[in-house]
Amino acid sequence: MAKEVISVGDFIVLQKQNYKKLLKFNKPSLSVTVGRDTINLNGIEGCPYFSTFKVISTGGKKNREFILELTNEVVNLKDEIDIKTSGNDNRNIIDDGRSQKLTAAEIEDLKVDSNKASDIVETLITNSNTFHRKTEFSQDKYLRKKEKKYFEFITILRPNLRIITEVMYKLDPGKIQGIRIDTLSQIVTLANIYSEGNYLLYDSGSNGLVAASIMSAIGQKSNGKLIHMHPGNMSQKQALLAMNFKEEQLNRCISVNVYSALRQFYQGCDANENSNIESNSLKRKADEDSEHKNKIAKLEDTSDTTDSTLEKVVDISDSKPEPKKPKWHFDNIAAAALLHQKVDALVIACKEDPKNIFTELVEFVKPGRPFVIYYNVAEPLQQLYLLLKSHSNVAALKLTCNWMRNYQVLPERTHPEVTMNSASGFLLTGYVLK
Amino acid sequence: MSFKNYKDKIEEGDTVILYLSNNLYALDVQRMIKNKKGEMVENVFQTPFGALKVKNLIGADYGSRVELSKGWGHVLQPTPELWSLTLPHRTQIIYTPDISMIMLQLDLVPGSVVIEAGTGSGSLTHALIRRVRPHGHVYTFDFHEHRAKVASEEFQAHGIAEFVTAQHRDVLSDGFGDDLKGKADAVFLDLPSPWLGVPHAVAAMKEEGGRFCSFSPCIEQVQRTCLALQEHGFEELTTMEVLQTELKVTRRTVPVRDLSFLRHKSSEKPVEEKPSGDTTFVVGAWPPSTPGHTGYLTVATLPPLFARSKKVSKPECSLEEQDSPENGDKMAVVGTEDNN
Repeated sequence: MAKEVISVGDFIVLQKQNYKKLLKFNKPSLSVTVGRDTINLNGIEGCPYFSTFKVISTGGKKNREFILELTNEVVNLKDEIDIKTSGNDNRNIIDDGRSQKLTAAEIEDLKVDSNKASDIVETLITNSNTFHRKTEFSQDKYLRKKEKKYFEFITILRPNLRIITEVMYKLDPGKIQGIRIDTLSQIVTLANIYSEGNYLLYDSGSNGLVAASIMSAIGQKSNGKLIHMHPGNMSQKQALLAMNFKEEQLNRCISVNVYSALRQFYQGCDANENSNIESNSLKRKADEDSEHKNKIAKLEDTSDTTDSTLEKVVDISDSKPEPKKPKWHFDNIAAAALLHQKVDALVIACKEDPKNIFTELVEFVKPGRPFVIYYNVAEPLQQLYLLLKSHSNVAALKLTCNWMRNYQVLPERTHPEVTMNSASGFLLTGYVLK
Repeated sequence: MSFKNYKDKIEEGDTVILYLSNNLYALDVQRMIKNKKGEMVENVFQTPFGALKVKNLIGADYGSRVELSKGWGHVLQPTPELWSLTLPHRTQIIYTPDISMIMLQLDLVPGSVVIEAGTGSGSLTHALIRRVRPHGHVYTFDFHEHRAKVASEEFQAHGIAEFVTAQHRDVLSDGFGDDLKGKADAVFLDLPSPWLGVPHAVAAMKEEGGRFCSFSPCIEQVQRTCLALQEHGFEELTTMEVLQTELKVTRRTVPVRDLSFLRHKSSEKPVEEKPSGDTTFVVGAWPPSTPGHTGYLTVATLPPLFARSKKVSKPECSLEEQDSPENGDKMAVVGTEDNN
């Protein structure tokens, strides 16, 4: 199912060891910043995904500019460097700051002059008084650390839900409402999302991550559809676009403004006819746009694409009164039509109090179908839980949270990882009754 | 036949979930069943709220209320999640928190081809089928002949047999078979010695590579599996644990004890020295006892064929894997060298 080669226009993932960066490959000679380095991606176009490239310096000391060269061989530091002796423990190692004979300046020069990471590290080790007295485990850890620092290879991966979730969570959990990967995976299963059926999502700020995960489970060349409701002028689509879905699949995610879609459903038109209010709302929209743009600009990964789509839509909505109706108008009609048929699951991931949103939207859910509400703290869901208990129009009501821990698994050195992401968010789930 | 697509009304032959005051029961909608003597009798399901004549369910709407002699309940259409909570246990099963993570970690989407071993009670299998259908397929194996047969019959009865092939096979000794060579996008192992299945997983995976996941309760299993994965060219090895806790939500009224009056001399004495009122909180209480461990999930990526051997890495410690795959001292190799 994978599109095999890297093409301009794709979202791609650049991987350097454990570091991953998600970006849109929008021109063949795109330059990206990785840490303090600037890397030109010229030459990756047309290579198969999972290709690895050697990072080669083009500048001198100051400007850290690099180009890429396709390679078939990735060299691991540990294989390059032969360690002859190791100590038993650290009783004779004293941290007096004098174990490294090279000065900081000399190391800087070394970095510029050497073209191989292993040369640098080898020189560092040779000039270290203590390295050979360290234990084997400690030496291994040292090499791992240095490898991270001097790693010279980059692999280009094809984004998928797992990688996008990981990248976005690492970058800033706040931008995806703190939805951790385990919780996200449960939203999709507990809402029983599959290739058939129509689903309703209200999302006020996960940068399209929840929509991406639902669309991923709906799949390509299937009948499933998603109504993606959002409160703003533009839906947040970053994660959705990063999935590189084909038109056919992406078009089955109907993104609509919640006010317009519900107005269309109840009143048969999506715009408020009152001109006073209209001008007000335009003003509000403009404010939101600029705010939205600011936010997007900070998200280095996809700034250009989201911005350009944003501009397009703003152009359309600003155009003269008469000409042909904008796409969102037809999206509202399509969403309202689906709402009349009723949907097979309701998913809410909101920043507002979920109570009103749920009580309004649950009307559109067929009896016997599941709902899932995500919130990053428990209290609003606890309130809603008690309210729903008293109404008894839902079954199997559950408030859950998750705990997840990663492990370092190495021979003789297996233990939980030192840091864990302790905020999982909370899920309120249940089934709608007749 | 109620596991394939959503439907509105209950038909004979459906499996339905009966929801009764926080309890869930799965039952087959059959008018008549055999009693102990082998005679056909009317199917009556006994609940804590009285008997349910199963034939009355036929034609009822899913999600609707059913009357019982001493109360009422609701009928739901089974989802893989509800099924995991109600299915007949033939083995220890994998539950929704792990299932969800497994599916996300295996990059499963409709159209994927996924291999599962062992089938067990089919808890995960139902979820896998839902995710990869309609264009994908689940191949599931169990070394227990009866279990494989029962699972196969169950998929038939649930109306999802077209998306799954359940086979009786000991995959650790016999592999996944020639038919599956180079066919799978993902392989999931829940077996006592998953490391022995790793080479078979490599053989079954597509040239484009794929994802691997192993579920093991013990860390020793994880360690051996990780070594085998590294040796067979897997990358991005990650091991994790996922647990879910259900919070008990209640409105709790608690006394307020005022102490500030003690700062000043007062005529009234012991009367005030007791709680002076109440206040109410909505609380989510953590259960006093909760499952603390299910299993470790170890996941890894097999790169596409062209990228597979490019990393010329020596294994962490030299293993005599080929000679003695059962060598239990493997993990000690490094340790002994270290003490030299």
